[in-house]
This record gives sequence, structure tokens and C-alpha cells, in this order.
Amino acid sequence: MQQDVLIVGLSHRTASLDVREAVAIADERLDDVNRALCDLEGVDEAVLLCTCNRVEVVSTTRDGGGAVARIAAFLRQAQTGRAADLTPHLYNYQGRDAVRHLFRVASSLDSMVVGEPQILGQLKQSYARAASVGATGAVLHRWFHKAFSVAKRVRTETGIAGRAVSVSSAAVELATTIFDRLEGKTAMLIGAGKMGELAARHLLANGVGGLIVTNRTFERAVELARQLNATPVPFEQFPRYLPMADIVIGATAASEAVLGPGPVQEALRERKGRPIFCIDLSVPRNFDPRLNELDNVYLYDVDDLSQVAEGNLGERVREAEKAEDIVTAEVESFLRWLGHLEVVPTIIALRDKVEAIRLGELQKSLNQLKDLGPRERQVLEAMTTAIVNKILHAPLARLKQHDRRTETFYLDATRRLFDLEDPDES
Amino acid sequence: MSIDLVFFAVSLGLYLVAAAAFVVHLTSTRAQPHRVALVALSAAFALETIALLLRVGTRGLGIMLSFHDQLSLLAWLIVGLYLALQARAPLAVLGALVSPLAFLLTLSSYIVFSGAETLPEGLRTAWLPAHVAPAFLGYAVFALAACVSLVYLVQERQLKAKRRGRLRRLPSLERLDELNYRCVAWGFALFTVGIVTGSLLSKAAWGSFWAWEPVQVVAVLAWLLYALLLQARMLGWRGRRAATLTLVGFALLLISLVALNLGLPHGRALG
Repeated sequence: MQQDVLIVGLSHRTASLDVREAVAIADERLDDVNRALCDLEGVDEAVLLCTCNRVEVVSTTRDGGGAVARIAAFLRQAQTGRAADLTPHLYNYQGRDAVRHLFRVASSLDSMVVGEPQILGQLKQSYARAASVGATGAVLHRWFHKAFSVAKRVRTETGIAGRAVSVSSAAVELATTIFDRLEGKTAMLIGAGKMGELAARHLLANGVGGLIVTNRTFERAVELARQLNATPVPFEQFPRYLPMADIVIGATAASEAVLGPGPVQEALRERKGRPIFCIDLSVPRNFDPRLNELDNVYLYDVDDLSQVAEGNLGERVREAEKAEDIVTAEVESFLRWLGHLEVVPTIIALRDKVEAIRLGELQKSLNQLKDLGPRERQVLEAMTTAIVNKILHAPLARLKQHDRRTETFYLDATRRLFDLEDPDES
Repeated sequence: MSIDLVFFAVSLGLYLVAAAAFVVHLTSTRAQPHRVALVALSAAFALETIALLLRVGTRGLGIMLSFHDQLSLLAWLIVGLYLALQARAPLAVLGALVSPLAFLLTLSSYIVFSGAETLPEGLRTAWLPAHVAPAFLGYAVFALAACVSLVYLVQERQLKAKRRGRLRRLPSLERLDELNYRCVAWGFALFTVGIVTGSLLSKAAWGSFWAWEPVQVVAVLAWLLYALLLQARMLGWRGRRAATLTLVGFALLLISLVALNLGLPHGRALG
């Protein structure tokens, strides 16, 4: 039966978080699970992909329907804790659909947030883990690496990952539109609550050099400042430190504005007009909206930031259409390669190729040795045939062994070593 | 049509190609148009270089008095400066402004084309190139500063209005402001040299350093404005105001250039 590719699993599209949690495979069990999967009857190679948004078994098989059922049963048994009925959540893709699915996953087209960059790394890790326990062979090797290169093409040729799509990353994106680099810039966090802390961490992670934290309850400011390696200042005195701040985050629970145009103008004068980016994360708002009217001050509140993020998301959706075209083209190229990984056609191709060489060379020699009699010719003919057959004997025997683990590897190697008109150049 | 005019005509077309390619590049994610734009711009620059050399070779330094050659010299300098700048730090959006500007300048130089002037006796002095070279280099740097300022104003407006335009890849405000400052500072230094050598030229040619020519007045006004701009930056006038002033200064320069050539009797006037 022909080698086929197969994906069985569930994702955020078919299963809610609690179902996904129940199926999730803990990291320390991963190696055992990968081994167990490729020991399943009808499964030749297998990689388990387990992220918080998906649990999928990527495999090759010669027994389509049977393998699907066995992998599904395996996942059902592997559940930890309270077992859920997985049947309505599981999907399976075979052949062209499976190839397309893996390429789309790698390119982050199937992600919850389309274009998010983590999935490619997770995919690479999953593959490496499975390969380290010998659960992968020539087909999965080729398939995954093709998926990685498709993802790279999508990333460089479309704008799918180009723009920030969350509020805090939109804030960072805007900050880098105002300031060229965040390195060496200082941020001030007014209000040491959870939301402000998140935003501050995000800025620090993106290069912001210094952080000043202030809070009505000073102890809280001191505590957070210690965690973030920042400088705490008392709430009453924060306007004095304003000139140092390139980015000011408002995240207090105050019901009225804590920062108006007066102190900001003061700060601008001291800063010699260097711009200030004000990010107001609070509802009701912490910063007087009139700040935006000041020269060199840019004020964004939560609504503004979400609008930026949403606009970017729309752009990603448009770019995703371009990405789908890239995926489609690459699917066809991979399928052509897979279609050639068959024992009989490979043996025939190899025999034909060698026979053609033999005949060509024999003819050349006979042309030079015009006065040979029929007997001598026959001997030459027999000798060349014997040489060819002896050389081909061992490789052909190996190819005919039908060892499911090594077969595709040898097929692929044979096609490459003898250059058997592989239509896929890569 | 003489061969240098053919070259000018071809580079005119190349500027258009570059401008269109830059705009396509800015509104899409593809890298191809950027390469096309840079190749077109470089080719246009090479052609104009040859054309200018041919003009100097056949007509001598008298071409410095013809408006036609002044305009194409300016276009050539601006494009050359941009190409040098972008080799260090790619700035496609600047190219999108520089290319049409070069197109307009070259086109205008076509429209005002006249034969070569013969250089009056009094101007056959080394002060003429010593004046024209720094003054025009200064003009070109100020032109770049004006383009940078225009981009700054667009980017600033988008940020204030909280709208993202269709243009991608606009540089950050900080970078544009910094670039504007550097251009204005360099332009100012060159322009200062140009004004000093200009008055020395005036002395050599007509016997007086200062003649209250409208051209001289406008040039000094522009010089004062740029001096003010550099001074005000120390006091916090950066960003939008600096960008606006840079544009006003460049407008004054253009006026002085046009006044020099169209509004005044020939021979006498030189900025």
C-alpha cells in the first residue's frame, strides 16, 4: 500500500481549553509518547505536536483508516485527569489536506492569533524531540523541513507577522515609531497595579533602559521596583521626575486625571522639546486628553491602542490570503516528491537508468571494434549485463526488503544518489 | 538636439520610474520595487553626470550663469547626496520625495533652456566656482532637509491623529528629527561659505561686497532663518516647528534662485 501522510488531533478550532488541557502531554512523557506512537500498527513515523492551542499527531502510514482509529484511541487513553469524550473534537487530514495543514500551522495561518511567531519554534522543537528518539524517518524529515521553509517564505514575502496585534505590543510599536530605539530610553509607571506592571515588563523586554515606578501606596511601588530593578519615587513627587521619562504609563485606579498639561509642559521645557509618549491604560482615564494637543506629546489611551491593534489585525488577514497561495504551491511540490517514494517505480527507474548507460557505452565500444564477430559481440554483451546486475544486486535487495522504518530513507537516498529525475529540485 | 539634452531627457524618464517604484515599495511589502527605484535613480544620476561634464566641456564655466544648468546641477547634487546617504542607511520614503523633486527640477531646467551664456569679463575669476560650489551644495542639503521635514510632518500628523496611513516603513520621528538637524547644520555651514565667497565675488566683479540686490537680501534672510532654527533647537524648538521652519527656509531659497534668474537683469545678479 502506498505511503501516505496523516495528521490526527485537535486544536483551538475544535476543542475548548479544558478539553485541550485534558489531552495535553506533559513534557517529561513526550519521548515515551513519540516512541509509543510510531510503534502503533500501521504508523511508520510520528511526531507529537503539543502546544497550548493544539495537540496533533503528525505521521506517515500505509494504512490510512486503521491508523486514524488507532491514533485517536491512543490520544483518548493518554488523557490525564478527568477524561473527556474526544470524538467530536478530533479531526484527521490525509494526503494533500495533511500536507497543507502542517504548512498552514507552521506559517501561523491556523493560529489563534494569525501570524504569531511562537508556533514555528514549537514545531521545530517537537520535531527535534521526536527525531531524538528515532520516531521520524525520511518522509517526516522532508515534510517538516519543507514546512519550516514554507513558514520562512511566508514570513519574508508577506506582511502576516508585520504588525502588533495586542494592546501592549501596539504600545511598543508606537513607541518605536516615535523613538528610533527604546534602548537608553526611560519609562515612568504611574500606578503599580497588575496592568501597569504588564505594560512596563513589555517595554523593558523591548529594550527600555530605565524604569521609574510611582504609586499612591509607596510600599507597593518599592516592592514592584525591586522586582523590575526600577527606581521607586513617592507619588507626591512624581512630577519632579517627569522630565526624565520618555514614556509615561498611567495605570492607577484614580477616578480623575492624575496628570494634566501643566506638569507635562514643565517637563517638556526641561527636556528641550524631546518627545514624550503617554500611554493611558486606565478606565476612567488617568491622563488629561488635552495632553495630546501639546507639541511633541503623543497620548494614546486604551481605545486608541486597541484600534491600532485591530487595524493591524485586519492587515494580517489580508496578508494571510497571499500566504495561502504560497502554501498551495508548496503543497504540490511536496506531493510530487512523496509520490515518487515508491519501491516499484524506483526500482524500474534505477534499472532503466543503468541499462541505458550500459547500452550507450556498449554501442560506443562496438562502433570502435568494427571487425568483431557475432561471438565476441555476444561475450561483450553478456559481460556488461553481468557487471550491471552484480552492482545492482545489493541495492535492489535492500529496496525490496520492505522494512517500514528504513524503506523511505533508502528510496529517497536512491533517488538522490542516482539522480532519478526527481521533479522537486529542492 | 544636442547629446547632453538627450541624456537629460532619458534621466527625466528614469526619475519618473524611480518615483513610481518608490511609491509602490512604500505601499507594499515587496523588496523588488526598492531595487528598481535605486537602479533607476543611480542610472539617472550617472547620465546627468555625463551630461553636465559635456556641458562644461563644450561651454566652459559660463554654464553657471544659465538657469537651465543651475537647475540640473541642483537636481544632480540632490540625487547624488541622497544616493550617498541611503548607502549608509536606507530611507526609501526620502527617495520617494527626492525622485519627483529631481524630476521637477530637471523638467524646469528643460523649460527654461537657453543657449549658453558667455561669461562676462568681470566674472572670469576663481571666486565664481568658489561661490557656486558651496552655495549649490548647501541648496542641495537644504533640499534634503526639506524632504525629511515633510516626512516628519506626515508621520507626526498620523501619530497625533491616531491613524495609520497606507504608507509603511516611515522612519521614527526621532530619526527624522535627528536627520533634519544634521542636514540643516551641514547646509548652514556650506551656505555660509557660499555667502562669504559670494560677497567676495561681488567685490571682485563689481567692486563692492554688498549691493542690496534682492537676491542677496533673500539669501541673507534665508541664512538668518536657518541660523535662528539652529539656535532655537537648543531651546527646545524641535520636531514639528523645526520641520515647518526648514520648509519655509527652503521655500525662501527657491524664491531666491528663481529671482536670481528670472526677475533680474542679467550679468549683475549673483546670490
